Amino acid sequence: MSAHVFEFSGMGCPCALHLEADDESVARTARALVFAEVDRLDRKYSHYRDDSLLATLCATAGEPIEVDAETANLLDFAAELHRQSDGLFDITAGRLTRLWDAPGGRVPAADEVAAALRLTGWQRIEWQRPHLRLPLAGVRFDLGGIVKEYAADRCAELCRAAGVKAGVVDLGGDLALIGPHPDGTPWIVGIKAPQATDRAAARIELARGGLATSGDYERALIVDGRRYSHIVDPRTGQPVASFASVSVVADSCLVAGAAATLAMLMGMARGGDYLRELGLPHLCIGNDGRASGDIAR
Amino acid sequence: MNAAKRPSSSLTLLLAASAALGGQKSVQADETGSAQSVGYRFNVYDEDAFSGQPVIGSPERYHVDSQQFALDTGVGGRNTLDVNATHEVMSGSSPWYLVPGPGNKPVQVLSGATIRDHRSAVQAAVTHDAGANDTTSVNASYSAERDYHATAIGAEHSMPLNVAVTLACGGSFSHDLIRPTDAELYDRISRAQKNTLSGFGGLTWVLNKASVVESGIQINYQTGYLSDPYKLATVGDVQLPDTRPEKRTEGAWLVRYRYALNADAALHADTRVAANSWGQHSLALEVSWYQRVGGDWQLVPGLRYYAQDSARFYAPFFAADSGGPYFSSDYRLGAFGALAANLNVRKRIGHWEVTAGAERYHSSTSYALGSSGVPDPAIVSYTRVYAGLDFHFD
Repeated sequence: MSAHVFEFSGMGCPCALHLEADDESVARTARALVFAEVDRLDRKYSHYRDDSLLATLCATAGEPIEVDAETANLLDFAAELHRQSDGLFDITAGRLTRLWDAPGGRVPAADEVAAALRLTGWQRIEWQRPHLRLPLAGVRFDLGGIVKEYAADRCAELCRAAGVKAGVVDLGGDLALIGPHPDGTPWIVGIKAPQATDRAAARIELARGGLATSGDYERALIVDGRRYSHIVDPRTGQPVASFASVSVVADSCLVAGAAATLAMLMGMARGGDYLRELGLPHLCIGNDGRASGDIAR
Repeated sequence: MNAAKRPSSSLTLLLAASAALGGQKSVQADETGSAQSVGYRFNVYDEDAFSGQPVIGSPERYHVDSQQFALDTGVGGRNTLDVNATHEVMSGSSPWYLVPGPGNKPVQVLSGATIRDHRSAVQAAVTHDAGANDTTSVNASYSAERDYHATAIGAEHSMPLNVAVTLACGGSFSHDLIRPTDAELYDRISRAQKNTLSGFGGLTWVLNKASVVESGIQINYQTGYLSDPYKLATVGDVQLPDTRPEKRTEGAWLVRYRYALNADAALHADTRVAANSWGQHSLALEVSWYQRVGGDWQLVPGLRYYAQDSARFYAPFFAADSGGPYFSSDYRLGAFGALAANLNVRKRIGHWEVTAGAERYHSSTSYALGSSGVPDPAIVSYTRVYAGLDFHFD
């Protein structure tokens, strides 16, 4: 049994595939599958690419279009998260997110926020599976919080189908377990510390399922000493005073990612309660570096 | 994790929402569940009677009613057992030999009496699924009728070479014992046997998410009594027993293509080209469309084309000085081709599945490969209808 680590860049972040396999060719095949799947989902769902399916969907406003089953499943999931979070989780908030996430490093003007808000709101979208119709032109989708996590689960699934039994898929800190080490022992995985991204805030044992982290430690906007989160409340258009990061462990990376994103959106006040209510192991780190949650540091 | 305690209502909601995206089955995914089912089929096969051409004897041809029981069940671990039992009742008369008629056109002589016979067969296979397309299967079968007993054993193995390519190989051996009826009366061989050894190897490629192609080679080698004891050949003015070589080697190349248009529709396209040491070549093409309709219904229309040329020693009848040593006027060794259209309908009702279908097979020497020479009047066209019921335990 030999260990393989394949590092690559995907979905705009550093990724790694850790495998333990007897057979070199099995490991290489798994690597090729993972690269291809990440690339496929990135091309299909990236909100940064003008040639993605999402961009195409946005460009066809007015006309009802039929989407494929995978996209329909993601839209159903997003719709359900929108409902469960009273509108906090909203994949139509792409324009708002972009505004606050702009690399220019300035706080957007009130009229810019108001314009983006007019193009935000899942309730404005007509979604009758498999038909999607955007009544407004200019809506921008953002599947952040679900697509990378979904991709991690898919990659783990493909590795298992390829015959790999032990390994971890790491897409920018969102992890999906292929399976425990060959002797059954769990993998030790690190949760990045918000302030020092090369250091682990905690180490936990994982044998299966997934771990996802939502945070704005890498993308927060700091202007005149004030920190603006890129986590934006789609109902007000304003950044949410939230944790520096929220990490959640669940049976799948997708569920972990959804829970972490919802907790981030709920903010310091309600996010922790929500995670406790879910009953999923979690770690929340505040902007002052203080940790809470039931994952030991 | 949270396995020990009941999930909260918010988590239940979250898990339910993620189910379609695989969020709930990340761990269970590699556990294979064996589908268990029992099924019954009733099948009616009816050959068209001779019509519009002179025949000697009853123009009625073969009619077969068959019943089939199938059981598919897990037998512990990753092993499954498939058992099939078939009972057939055959009746009708079969082509015996040809004689030259007016204008040297062949006239079919049919066996004098209408035969009525039974065949019973049982087949069992045990398959071990090691996961990830790695399966090993062994099988055995036995078939008995009054004048024919066939026993066969076989094994197959398939294993992934990598995630996109699977290798399959296998072999089988069959021993057939022939004890023709009325041997003394018609001067037939009283007892004979033949053995068949087969081997195949193939590769299956997953081309992409929607399509799979499989290519394989099959070799069959037969020795022993390969003639048909119930057929004669006209040589000059006399009828001699059908006499074929005691060895036959056949090689075939198969290509199968599967294309899933979406979750509800798929195209299956198969081809097989073959050649044998008796000088015959054949080609088979088959296209089927699998269409799910409204969730529970499945329609499978299909078209099939088959064509072959004739064996070196085949002729409707032979000149007295044609030499031999082999003579056969069996239409199955002559040049002909066939077109078939079929439709299968399935409907799932809870654990039950009802299936019904029909096939119309039309053969003609004009569809044959190469020059067809004199048309053999015996080439067969038939209609097949069937219905069945399966019960799935899952």
